Amino acid sequence: MSFVSIEQAGYGVPSGGTILDRIDWTIGEGEFHALVGRSGCGKTTLLKLVAGLLAPSTGTVRIQGEPVRGPGAQVGFVFQAPTLLDWRTVLDNLLLPVSLTRRPQPADRRKAEELLDLVGLTGLEGRFPSQLSGGQQSRVALARALVTEPPLLLLDEPFAALDAITREELQDDLLKLCARHRTTVLFVTHDIAEAVYLADRVAVMEGGHLRHALPVPLARPRGRDVRYSPRFNALCLELRHAMDGKPDRPALERAS
Amino acid sequence: MVRLASALLLVLLLAGWEVHCRVAGVSALVVPLPSAVLRTLWDGLAGGYLLPHLWVTTAEMGMGLAAGCTIGFLAGVLLAEVPVLRRLFYPYILASQVVPKLALGPLFIVWFGFGMTSTVVITALICFFPLLENTMTGLQQVDPNKRELFRMLRATRLQTLLRLKIPSGLPVILAGLRVAVVLALVGAVVGEFIGGRQGLGASIIAAQGMMDSTMMFALFIVITVLGMIVYQAAAGLERWLLRRPWKG
Repeated sequence: MSFVSIEQAGYGVPSGGTILDRIDWTIGEGEFHALVGRSGCGKTTLLKLVAGLLAPSTGTVRIQGEPVRGPGAQVGFVFQAPTLLDWRTVLDNLLLPVSLTRRPQPADRRKAEELLDLVGLTGLEGRFPSQLSGGQQSRVALARALVTEPPLLLLDEPFAALDAITREELQDDLLKLCARHRTTVLFVTHDIAEAVYLADRVAVMEGGHLRHALPVPLARPRGRDVRYSPRFNALCLELRHAMDGKPDRPALERAS
Repeated sequence: MVRLASALLLVLLLAGWEVHCRVAGVSALVVPLPSAVLRTLWDGLAGGYLLPHLWVTTAEMGMGLAAGCTIGFLAGVLLAEVPVLRRLFYPYILASQVVPKLALGPLFIVWFGFGMTSTVVITALICFFPLLENTMTGLQQVDPNKRELFRMLRATRLQTLLRLKIPSGLPVILAGLRVAVVLALVGAVVGEFIGGRQGLGASIIAAQGMMDSTMMFALFIVITVLGMIVYQAAAGLERWLLRRPWKG
């Protein structure tokens, strides 16, 4: 059964503009899907519909068969910016999703420290966000979204502001973290290589429509060698042509 | 080095003043001798004449500051949180900002009588606005992404206020407090000019009545030092509250 199902979901603004036009998409349990498109194509809006931060003007979004009516406990969200609370320590920031619902227990603290270890921030729990690098802040934001172990994780271009090497490290961290509890993921990005590297399936958005869907049949776990394999590059090129709306045959010939 | 130079400048200025007054024979009524001012100041402090006045002004300032800042902060939170109230009251708030609050002094004397109460009310009124304005601004300047984060985490309105909006607006709110502290001293002293029986402002008026310019200068010094102490206290409080790395 599909974990997330988007059924004829549309979103318009009162001034009459249509941002999303009748989108259909399903994500199976434990799958990693990426949503690519240019700036302003509506991919962030679609993500917010799934998150329950916005309500669709037409159609419905279902998570585990239940229509989404608002932000739910089963969803973790990672924003474009790390959005950490500057006046709280790393540990307090990590525990924010817990401390807003109840007093954090020693078990929560242990789990937070375990997550910090996994993202390579061991021993930094007492620091403040301004004392961290951009990559470290993004790691804290990622760990915070996972501290309640939500079955569904939504990410909105979380690594866009990072340098290439740091971004690759974070992509590997993300895959590692999501594999732990077989988290279902919807990942929005404008980076083609990122989408291909991370996802099982990539959807291409353009002007509020889903134009194309591309399965990524690369074996897991994926490592550095995958990034430079001809198969990977061919998939990137195919995705690039899908985004341009051109037939992808000449590209594949050149790649092979 | 620069500190030493600026201290030296003060000494030079005072010496020049002293010499000029003695050589040119300026009347003590117009400009008193610095040495006489210091002696009066010392006598006033050591003899205990100034202490009750200092105490009254400090108390008025403290009470006015506490009342004005508390009400200003709470009103700022309310107006920032309830847009309807903001739209309803904002024109009036703007208008009342423009009214010179000290001009209401005589009216307060009619309402509250001579003495501490009217001065405290004037001081509170003066401190109210910087806190109101800065609290409103501070709470509304919260990063929209962080607001969305709190929505995503299903925080209640009170949690969002206490754990996001107030902490992230705190630097702006405390800047308002620093302004209010300076204004509070002005409010207390000028309030005493109008309706005080006791206090540093009332003493200035009394000294003026006795044509005692030396005492007036001594009182200026007391007021200046008092102002510097409370300002430094407010700045210290600000540093202490914002001691954590804070970006906004």
